Amino acid sequence: MDSIVLYATTLLVFFFVNNILTWGLNIQFGYAGILNFAFIIFMALGAYVTGVFTLPMANGISGQTYVLGVSWPFPLTLLMGGLASAAVGLLVGLIALKRLRSDYMAIVTVAVGVITYDFVGNTTGLFNGWDGLGGVPSPLQDRFSISYGAYQWVFVLLAGVVMLCMWWLAQKIDSSPYGRTLRAIREDQDVAESFGKNTFKYRMSAMIIGCFYAGIAGGLLIEYITAINPSGWTTGETFVIWTALLIGGTGNNWGAALGALLVPVLFQEVTRFLPQVASNPDLIPAMRNVIVGALLITVLWFRPQGIIPERKWRFYDLPLKRGGPAAPTATEGANVAAG
Amino acid sequence: MLIYLHALGFGLVTASILALASVALTLQFGVTNYVNFAHGELLTFGAYFAWLANSHYGWNIWIALLVGAILTGVLAVIINLIVLQPFTKKGYPVLFMLVVTFGLSLILSNVLLATFGADFQRYTVPPDTQYNIGPFLLTASQLIIIGIAIVTMIGLHVLLNYTKLGKAMRAMSDNPALARNCGIDTELVTNFTWLLTGFLAGLAGVVLALNISSFQPAFGGDFLFVIFAAVILGGIGRPYGAMAGALVIGVVTEIAAIPLSSDYKNDAAFAILVLVLLFRPQGIFASEGKA
Repeated sequence: MDSIVLYATTLLVFFFVNNILTWGLNIQFGYAGILNFAFIIFMALGAYVTGVFTLPMANGISGQTYVLGVSWPFPLTLLMGGLASAAVGLLVGLIALKRLRSDYMAIVTVAVGVITYDFVGNTTGLFNGWDGLGGVPSPLQDRFSISYGAYQWVFVLLAGVVMLCMWWLAQKIDSSPYGRTLRAIREDQDVAESFGKNTFKYRMSAMIIGCFYAGIAGGLLIEYITAINPSGWTTGETFVIWTALLIGGTGNNWGAALGALLVPVLFQEVTRFLPQVASNPDLIPAMRNVIVGALLITVLWFRPQGIIPERKWRFYDLPLKRGGPAAPTATEGANVAAG
Repeated sequence: MLIYLHALGFGLVTASILALASVALTLQFGVTNYVNFAHGELLTFGAYFAWLANSHYGWNIWIALLVGAILTGVLAVIINLIVLQPFTKKGYPVLFMLVVTFGLSLILSNVLLATFGADFQRYTVPPDTQYNIGPFLLTASQLIIIGIAIVTMIGLHVLLNYTKLGKAMRAMSDNPALARNCGIDTELVTNFTWLLTGFLAGLAGVVLALNISSFQPAFGGDFLFVIFAAVILGGIGRPYGAMAGALVIGVVTEIAAIPLSSDYKNDAAFAILVLVLLFRPQGIFASEGKA
């Protein structure tokens, strides 16, 4: 019984974390049209920074070496993780977003991905290198004198609250003038520019906010599973988030949430129970990645808008004809009300 | 001082490998107008095809090299026919084409991982002898790698300037609509470009694997951004720029490996990529880029 409860809580936390990740990617790709092929790097940075802010000073007893180690309390550590990812997102944006072509952005993110991966792995003094951080204390666990199983529900609650905050922000972006400007830039950068919008600034802010989401998601993840090492954030993990977003539907948060439920939670969890092949232990994980990649391409072919498509924005005719605004016809009015 | 001269020699070898890979990428970009993020996996496939011929069938490494390159060329055409061409025909914007090639790179590298596992593989080659050539200290196979690159670059020069096919490729790179209106069979030229790109990428993959002596399914993908650095340095879509960019990146990364340690030598390529994008995104050799 306990193991089922533990499994259920784990799934819930995974779902919450993946929701936040997919919303972050949606802000970058779905609204602003930014291609970030190293999205998982920002999750990992958030996780590492949250980890080193939570852990006590590296003392050599645990055999780990890392920077900081300041034992800060819970919500602050998470915030630092998010801010660190946002800061790196700013740097990447400064290099890449000035260019008009989307290829350059994608190329820079691919390069940043490989460089960061090798750098974090090779620089042992930063986040304990290839072995990664471990034994990160879960938030507030010492404050409650409750069983391990009961604490899982406390964490689900904490993660749920964080997720709701991120949902609120994502919905605000969706319906605000800011979100509409991002969509306009995505559709045609030159037109948006000619309407006086500073497209570089807008795209940069979407990049930073998206990376902040990734950092928060990473922070939550390390607070929950208490460890992270480089094998947990390979290119394949970036794909999972991309496939989730494209299957669920870009440009709206419901689609992203549906994708997060379908791909990282449902697909990855169901295939987790496939037996290992002794002669080739990489076979099953590799085949899973092949399927995720094939899903991505199939969805782009058959339904590029995803299961839940972005809402088509409809506007009344502009009041350019004589006699003021034209009254919408009955069907148009119904569509507007329904849409 | 001698150690730096030796590094310069190794830099020329790396530059030769990089030249093959980056000319391939830049030619394909010129004709199709989207960047292929699965280009690194073409290198990996070339290395594995040659490894099958070399280690399983016991063929000489240089014959295996040719087999690997040809098979990779065929693979690239098949990928274009099955996946990429339908997408471009349906008129997908470049943004989506990039996501498609990104998906392809995951599929291709994991097909290799599922088939051969994550173990490091090596070619069966006779022991190499080292030669002192001027100030450089190079092995026989490293000299052959430089030779292959030089011959290939001359061949490409002839192809692009003196054959109808090469001229058609350049015309498509300049203006695809105009090229089609002039009666160029753009579909055929595109498929030929993929064949050539795959062939060159396959060559690059095998000689890269030979030079670093062991390889596994991720090795081409990890090399991709070094190729990008060379391509962007020379101006994207420009074959001669890519050759020059490859020379600079190859030499700089090998020389930087001495003070930095070889763990960080690719960071030098990244630093160049960042500097070029910040200060001269059209590339140092181009007066006016396609970007």
